[in-house]
Amino acid sequence: MAWRQGVGLTEEERVTRDEAKSLLLRTLQMAAPFRRTIYFALACVITVTLCSLAGPVVIKHGIDAGIRKADEGALNLAVVMYVAIVITSYCIGRLQYLFINNAGENFLRLLRIKVFAQMQRQSMSFFDREKAGVLVARMTADIESMAEIVQWGLLQFISSAILFVLAVILLFFLSWELTIVALLVMPYIWFATVKFQRDSNKAYLAVRERVGANLSALQESIAAVRVIQAYSREEEQIRRFRASNQALYRSHMKSVKVSTWYFGLIEFSGVLASALIVGVGGWLVHRGSVSVGTVVAFVLLLSNLFDPVQQLSQLYNTMQSAGAALKKLFGILDTDPEIDERPGAVDLPARGDLCVDNVTFTYHDGSQPAIEKASLVLPAGQRLALVGPTGAGKSTLAKLMARLYDPISGSISFGGVDLRDAGMDSLRQRIVVVPQEGFLFNGTIRDNLRIAKPDASEDEIVAALRALGVLERFAELPDGLDTEVRERGSRFSAGERQLVSLARAALVDPAVLVLDEATSNLDPGTEKDVEAALDALMHGRSVIVVAHRLTTVQRADRIAVVDHATIVEQGSHDELMSLDGSYARLVKAWNSAQPMRG
Amino acid sequence: MSTPDPHSDQGAGRRGWKLLAETLREQRRGLAIGVAVGLVWSIAKISVPSLFRLGIDRGVERNGSLLFWTLLIATAGVVTGIFTAFRRWVAFRESRATETSLRERLFTHLQGLHIGYHDVAQTGQLMSRASSDLGLVQAFVVMIPLTLSNVMQILGVVVILALSQPMLALVALLPLPFVNLLARRFSNAIHPAVLAVQAEQAELANVVEESVSGIRVVKGFGAEGAQMAKLRKEADDIRAVSLGAAKIRSRFLPGIDLLPSLGLIAVLALGGHRVIDGRMTVGELVAFNSYLIMLIWPLRNIGMTIAFGQRAAAALIRVNEVLATEPAVADPPKAQRLPQRSSSAFTGAVRFSDVHFAYPNGTDVLHGFDLEVRPGESIAIVGATASGKSTVARLLLRFYDAQRGSVSLDGIDVRSLRLADLRKSVAVVFEDTLLFNDSVAANIAFADPNTPQDRIEEAARLAGAHDFILELPDGYETVLGERGYSLSGGQRQRVAIARAIVADPRVLVLDDATSAVDPSKEHEIRAAMATVMRGRTTLVIAHRPATIALAERVALLDEGRVAALGTHEELLRTSARYADVLAAQERREVELKVAQ
Repeated sequence: MAWRQGVGLTEEERVTRDEAKSLLLRTLQMAAPFRRTIYFALACVITVTLCSLAGPVVIKHGIDAGIRKADEGALNLAVVMYVAIVITSYCIGRLQYLFINNAGENFLRLLRIKVFAQMQRQSMSFFDREKAGVLVARMTADIESMAEIVQWGLLQFISSAILFVLAVILLFFLSWELTIVALLVMPYIWFATVKFQRDSNKAYLAVRERVGANLSALQESIAAVRVIQAYSREEEQIRRFRASNQALYRSHMKSVKVSTWYFGLIEFSGVLASALIVGVGGWLVHRGSVSVGTVVAFVLLLSNLFDPVQQLSQLYNTMQSAGAALKKLFGILDTDPEIDERPGAVDLPARGDLCVDNVTFTYHDGSQPAIEKASLVLPAGQRLALVGPTGAGKSTLAKLMARLYDPISGSISFGGVDLRDAGMDSLRQRIVVVPQEGFLFNGTIRDNLRIAKPDASEDEIVAALRALGVLERFAELPDGLDTEVRERGSRFSAGERQLVSLARAALVDPAVLVLDEATSNLDPGTEKDVEAALDALMHGRSVIVVAHRLTTVQRADRIAVVDHATIVEQGSHDELMSLDGSYARLVKAWNSAQPMRG
Repeated sequence: MSTPDPHSDQGAGRRGWKLLAETLREQRRGLAIGVAVGLVWSIAKISVPSLFRLGIDRGVERNGSLLFWTLLIATAGVVTGIFTAFRRWVAFRESRATETSLRERLFTHLQGLHIGYHDVAQTGQLMSRASSDLGLVQAFVVMIPLTLSNVMQILGVVVILALSQPMLALVALLPLPFVNLLARRFSNAIHPAVLAVQAEQAELANVVEESVSGIRVVKGFGAEGAQMAKLRKEADDIRAVSLGAAKIRSRFLPGIDLLPSLGLIAVLALGGHRVIDGRMTVGELVAFNSYLIMLIWPLRNIGMTIAFGQRAAAALIRVNEVLATEPAVADPPKAQRLPQRSSSAFTGAVRFSDVHFAYPNGTDVLHGFDLEVRPGESIAIVGATASGKSTVARLLLRFYDAQRGSVSLDGIDVRSLRLADLRKSVAVVFEDTLLFNDSVAANIAFADPNTPQDRIEEAARLAGAHDFILELPDGYETVLGERGYSLSGGQRQRVAIARAIVADPRVLVLDDATSAVDPSKEHEIRAAMATVMRGRTTLVIAHRPATIALAERVALLDEGRVAALGTHEELLRTSARYADVLAAQERREVELKVAQ
């Protein structure tokens, strides 16, 4: 079988015996729906394994009962038996692949769906905590590392184990003396293999690191090629890359060295064991205690003893890495979402005031509050601008008002219903958050709008776009609303992406809009359209906007100034200006930051 | 780069093999050693079953010296073991050396390719040339010496079998060529299936990735259900293609296992009767069996090698597409030298005469651009978005060559200069400041790694970067970049200016150096810019009035040529278009930037 490089596992990732037991139990529970397929697969594996063992036994029988006794009938019987075994092995062998893969792929599919569903249920704080790359790795690399086990590892593991046990039993019955001789070399093959696994794992980790360094050196040089050429530093970059490339080469060779001595040793051990069988077996034949056929069968069966030991120990690492992956995946499945629908949740009313009552919130237990004792009321249909320095907590306050987080104390209610008592569907229908960046998903423009309302009719989609005055703009694209968004919408300008994002909100037709105003400039071509669409969208709704522009702030009915996690001032623009406090100072700072005029 | 060819598939295939042969020629000594080692290995390996046969026939059956046979077989084992290791070592050494040298060639070539190439090439594509494609080549090269010794082993075994029992050999060997055939067909069938599985896995990864990075949208609209449906579809697709691959395995693998058994049955049936008839010994029968078993793996291996070779050839074609691209901008055959810089007179006269330029994708930028910059003078180039301001700098650096007209530095056409000479004389601070994953000092000393520390610090002081650098965790030794410390936009910009100062160029180009910076921080960079511009030919590409005001003269770029030239005040008075352009820029600036 193909020899595989170690899977690369650091010491912390290794799974302990107890963990392995509970992982196995849980996996079996999860695989319960495909129990029957698994039983069939097992039956196939056992049959095929028995067949491969039966071959040499039949040959031994043919030699001892047929050839050496010149009994042609017995010889022919052996041949017929051999044919039957081979055909059985072939047919069941084909089924074995199908059953095993069926069970395995169904299990992986279930795992993918379950883990993703659990991830999606998590609240924002989970996504603040976990790195995006790590979450993607859980769903890809970690699950894929189990695919190897599913495709051939499990099959190999079971059949190797059965093969080894049966081979030992069989050999013992044939001749216990020769079995002991054959097993003499076993301990050191085992030790050599374990050492090899450990060393090759270490070498592989080193190679992986070097490959990473090498590739990022390459990537950096490609990304920075303009700077490199502008400063004529090509030679220097090449010199550095050569060094990293050579280091990679050396670490590859180190890893080859590990496997080199191991394979030589294994090859030698096999021949040595056979030599001992010939020597000791010959002596036993001379004494008349075993037959020549037995010695022959021993030599033929020896590989059935050595191969499984090697395979089992090589699989050990694959199993370890699958175990480590499962541990992490079950970790996600065991994480309960912090924000979830309460039993007996109610729908929010169609309209109402949004009340924030003495709300305190921290991102991490025990850390500084991000919002402290905040209270405000947003009457239905009014606009509220949140202003304040970066990091003061205005975005956090906006997110709390959309229940992306739950307050630690105090309450937020809409139309008199505490948001925590509302059904999730109803909540997302009444209060919609439009993020700063227009984020596009893969799929068509239409798919991107439907994200907000999967059952939206074509009329509703057209109406939403028309309401914002952007229907023509998207209808004029080569494929209209069916235009594919590729690579996160890189073909669209930031303004166009923002328009799709606004249309999404229009499709939901919420009572409350939460907007995070963009800090960066849009392209001049779409900026006006975005402003017009935004105006249309805000019309007749309650709006909470995290504001960065004075014009936006001035158009709000109410302004809340957030500083150091508290609401320090609230009121209309004129009221706050006359207060001559934080707000007046912010406006002054803006005026002085204006670019000088010619 | 290639003309359409009715047999393009075949043609490409042949070209790939040719490339492979060329690549291997460099490794021919190592490969020859590999083959020699393989030869010894085959002999040792082949001798083992024969020794068993003799051991059983002479030692066991005829009461010969068992100790002698045991030791002889053990000795053969030692030789086999040593040469197994040796053969493997040589094969991997040669294949890794091939991979390493090809990767270096690729890297060197990429560094020399013109910017127009890099504008259209995708980084991901180039990366996969250097990693997965070269990986395929390596996987094939490693198999070459191993396969050659496998072939010798097969030949040796066949000869031995044919000499001892020709008829039996014929019958027993009959099914074996099919092992090779099946292995090759399997490898070819499973490869696209494996690629399909990978493609589906990538699609699932996309869904997960967009759900995680777009989590604000997902949560904001309650789109969990929509994303879940997408994922379910991808998970179903993965299962479907994986089961497809399993079907291919089930079709081939048991068959590959079955065929050699047919030979073994033939040996037992025919050979058994021969032993009974006395035309063959038991030892010979056992040896026959062992030899047949010995052939299975090498035959499978040859089938795989051929399939691997096809993939390696395809990979090399892709690699060669990069290597065969000639740099469009290169040193002239007979380069001229720039005049010496003297302390009495400024050097760094730049002249654009009647420059016409369009980008390779057809975007027409300059038509008849004329501009003369006197030594030591600073000029601001102002224009609307996408008017070609940055193109002017790129042409001076010879990132591209003008289609018509000429660009000259100190009186010499830039195309007559060595690229290194030209680019050492012109330093650019780019709009997007790219710093390297290296220490601050190394980033500043980029133009010349041997720059002494005091010159690095002097440059940093001039650029207004010294103070904040000292406050970094490790001062000048702080490592920056993706895996290091991240600086703010303004700080990065000042490091980039220091990098340009260290180069001590004749001409300094500041390409929109303040655009990425928070307006409230802009004045810090402006101060740095003013310092370094003093007494040095400088082109400032800018859109903020305060930055424009740093330059002595302003050139308004409109419709591909210089529409107006003069001081900032003159242009404000005389050019309505200039006022328009500035107003458009300013309108975009008017926003509340809440200052901390």
